[in-house]
Amino acid sequence: MGLISGMLMGMIFGISLMAGWRHMMRYRSTKRIAKAADIKVLGSLNRDDLKKICGDNYPEWISFPVYEQVKWLNKQLSKLWPSVAEAASAVIKESVEPLLEEYRPPGITSLKFSKLTLGTVAPKIEGIRVQSLKKGQITMDIDFRWGGDPSIILGVEAALVASIPIQLKDLQVFTVIRVIFQLAEEIPCISAVVVALLSEPKPRIDYTLKAVGGSLTAIPGISDMIDDTVNTIVTDMLQWPHRIVVPIGGIPADTSELELKPEGKLTVTVVKANDLKNMEMIGKSDPYVVVHIRPLFKVKTKVIDNNLNPVWNQTFELIAEDRETQAITVEVFDEDIGQDKRLGIAKFRLIELEPETPKEVNLSLLSSLDTLKVKDKKDRGSCTLKLLYHQFSKEEQLIALEEEKTILEERKRLKEAGVIGSTMDALDGAASLVGSGVGMVGTGIGAGVGLVGSGVGAGVGIVGSGLGAVGSGLSKAGRFMGRTITGGHSSKRSGTSTPVNSIQENGGAKPL
Amino acid sequence: MGFLSTVLGFCGFGVGISAGLVIGYSFFIYFQPSDVKDPKIRPLVDQDSETLQKMLPEIPLWVKNPDYDRVDWINKFLEYLWPYLDKAICTTAKNIAKPIIDEQIPKYKIDAVEFETLTLGSLPPTFQGMKVYVTDEKELIMEPLIKWAGNPNVTVAVKAFGLKATVQVVDLQVFALPRITLKPLVPSFPCFASIFVSLMEKPHVDFGLKLIGADLMSIPGLYRFVQELIKDQVANMYLWPKTLQVQILDPAKAFKRPVGMLHVRVVRAMKLRKKDLLGASDPYVKLKLTEDKLSSMKTTVKHKNLNPEWNEEFDIFVKDPQTQALELRVFDWEQIGKHEKMGMNVIPLKELTPEEPKVMTLELLKNMDLNDTQNEKSRGQLVVELTYKPFKEDEIPKSFEESKTVQKAPENTPDGGGVLAVIVHEAQDVEGKHHTNPYVRVLFRGEEKKTKHVKKNRDPRWEEEFLFMIDEPPINEKLHVEVLSNSSRIGLLHSKESLGYIDINLSDVVNNKRINEKYHLIDSKNGRIQIELQWRTK
Repeated sequence: MGLISGMLMGMIFGISLMAGWRHMMRYRSTKRIAKAADIKVLGSLNRDDLKKICGDNYPEWISFPVYEQVKWLNKQLSKLWPSVAEAASAVIKESVEPLLEEYRPPGITSLKFSKLTLGTVAPKIEGIRVQSLKKGQITMDIDFRWGGDPSIILGVEAALVASIPIQLKDLQVFTVIRVIFQLAEEIPCISAVVVALLSEPKPRIDYTLKAVGGSLTAIPGISDMIDDTVNTIVTDMLQWPHRIVVPIGGIPADTSELELKPEGKLTVTVVKANDLKNMEMIGKSDPYVVVHIRPLFKVKTKVIDNNLNPVWNQTFELIAEDRETQAITVEVFDEDIGQDKRLGIAKFRLIELEPETPKEVNLSLLSSLDTLKVKDKKDRGSCTLKLLYHQFSKEEQLIALEEEKTILEERKRLKEAGVIGSTMDALDGAASLVGSGVGMVGTGIGAGVGLVGSGVGAGVGIVGSGLGAVGSGLSKAGRFMGRTITGGHSSKRSGTSTPVNSIQENGGAKPL
Repeated sequence: MGFLSTVLGFCGFGVGISAGLVIGYSFFIYFQPSDVKDPKIRPLVDQDSETLQKMLPEIPLWVKNPDYDRVDWINKFLEYLWPYLDKAICTTAKNIAKPIIDEQIPKYKIDAVEFETLTLGSLPPTFQGMKVYVTDEKELIMEPLIKWAGNPNVTVAVKAFGLKATVQVVDLQVFALPRITLKPLVPSFPCFASIFVSLMEKPHVDFGLKLIGADLMSIPGLYRFVQELIKDQVANMYLWPKTLQVQILDPAKAFKRPVGMLHVRVVRAMKLRKKDLLGASDPYVKLKLTEDKLSSMKTTVKHKNLNPEWNEEFDIFVKDPQTQALELRVFDWEQIGKHEKMGMNVIPLKELTPEEPKVMTLELLKNMDLNDTQNEKSRGQLVVELTYKPFKEDEIPKSFEESKTVQKAPENTPDGGGVLAVIVHEAQDVEGKHHTNPYVRVLFRGEEKKTKHVKKNRDPRWEEEFLFMIDEPPINEKLHVEVLSNSSRIGLLHSKESLGYIDINLSDVVNNKRINEKYHLIDSKNGRIQIELQWRTK
């Protein structure tokens, strides 16, 4: 009797003990989970949530802008700036100098930094936005503003003129930097970083040029030339869709997806222009048209003498890398002795084209693309183009890439052999093509054309060697990135990760 | 009889309780699912005020305190990164643990130990606010509040003697308020040399530990005990002022600390070439180490002398005897206009034997370009005596901690006296009426020292150090510091202007050994100047 009742009692006791334990387990587990859920919710509060929590006592100092403010980061940055400035100036000098060399207009024989210090004013990060636009990628947009007092002195040497130091003063940079992190499932979890400047809002880089101990007029048009060089480097290297890809060391990852590559082919027929402005004293303008998507690859029509309503009907093919953001720029020039005058310029966004559907557009010409700079509202005539956008298939894209590779290699070889790429060659090429050797040094247009001359006319020596230079610049950047993020991995792959990817297909576009 | 029944009753109770425990265990615990579910996250707007009330203690600091900044962009970043980070960390952990386990298990006669599941869960850590402190020292201090209330599931299965036991860690929660200090700041990437981490409060730790399915942590009393144990353990190691130091850069490299002293005696020069139109040249010698940012040292000017004898001595700190070289340049002094170069030469320091004086007669050259034909012309000779003395190992400060403390005064200071070091760091918002080319004048006991001019800058940075040797502690004395501006144009009105001054009482410095502070300038609108004072005694 005692045994049975004892057993029964014991069993009940044991089971209830277990039940109690189980209850405690449940209780603690739900408590923990509830806390986790709370913290998760509180981790991404928005204005409405906060209103609900705080009611009438909503804290005044809190706001929710699209770009989140980072006051603490700015405080740290300004404190760290003297050290950063010193460390960065060496890196910048090493990586930008080859770029300057490759993009320099032919009117200038040497372009180097003779002094570079970043000054005492630290840049400000106005805000940061993080989003994930694509699976496996994090996109971080940094609103970056720098109105600094750097001391940048460029040593500029032009043909026939001794070296003059030119100072870049009052440098101001306002831009949104887009950084894309490609994620990976291995430490450090980031296989590559893509850096670019967003094109919308357009990067603003302002500066004034001043010659040290001399006058800017010593080399005519020098300021235009430097403006042009800076502009080309920014728009053709950094501005979205152009980007710099920095693979982070340690993870063998395929970064080709991230790089800019030929996406489609644009067939342009420059049909005619109407009611062009007459720029000449005697007779009428002698117009020709320059068309480009990327400033390094310009194509030009023939010159039609003495005509304000010229008909060209010439067809070119241009490579597009990013239909979303790229545009075709059309410039009409008047050929003249001395320097060629621009009669008008117009832009057409590729996004407005349907692939595989021909479209005829009539663009009205403006005096400048910068709406702030357009002084008169005078009619400058119009230009008619026939456009056909062809989206590359995978195979075509591969072929285009392969072709591009061989062309680049060929050019590199030629450059090494010294056949092309020397300034004099470029000068000759440009001179014979434009027909005015003097004008080239003279104006910004000259410089631009010169660029085309050396870029396309002489066999794109600039790009071929530019590739190597960009590569080396990048590998420096890569080293720096690697050091900061992974702690000591320099990447040799970065040499191949060049954004200079586009090139005309063989004979597709007629060089100038 | 009653006794027997009681004994049987107790025995029955004993048997019953074990049976009950087994039944209860299998019924309530063993057959319950042990996987970890994602917690249901309901948007905040849907919740009633009661649940909101419960949430209030966990509300982020940036909502409550304006001095904490919101860092939701980091949270978002972490959220996107988390799945990848989770996999990466778990794979790495497995890979690290495997060889260790394989090595250990034969000792304990265990068949296998393996991770059944290993995941950090779907909830990333969140930053609930970031606060930074701005001090006058060369350091960055930030205090993020990190809360990780995750749902990780780590299950380790141990197999031995044909039986399997599992240990499972679930629902780990760690809340911590670390202070992260980056110091010292150095001029090479990543711009700081070490990271110091210390916890400002005891961290909050909570988790469930299931042994064969039963959560040990829910035994009343045990959880609290374990939590306290962990807190105390962690606190012992990292609670402020204890810190965890992670070195990023090698201190010697980061700082380019001097490793030796170069003793130079400029003896004389011979057969210098005449540069002045009337009479002989007025030569003097400038000395400088390559890759050194310090301004060069000069000998006195010997007027009208083409075979001058100086016999002057200089001491220069050497940072890297392998790559650095001594640059000697002879100049012709002029009353007006630019001083003309008379010649130069360079001595690489690696040519010197340590501790051994070496007399060298140098041929003066136009420049160091070997192919330049202009170098073939004779420009005279310069005789110098060089001794390189490397510091002994114990003389080099080893870590940053030591370097931060006030240095010792040199040997020759008189007893009771010392060296007053004045380091002029930077100024802010100094503005002159007519021009702002600020420099600082430091006046002490009639002795005047000046910094370099910084051209057109409202926020100049000098980082210059001045030393005053004194016989007794300057308790009742003041240091006069004035910021001045000189016009770059000569001979105009307002050629010199005061941008503000301060008088600093030195008794505090003597008591504290070191004071580094920003002072508001008198006679200036908003001007501030940062000055570091050190009182170095033997």
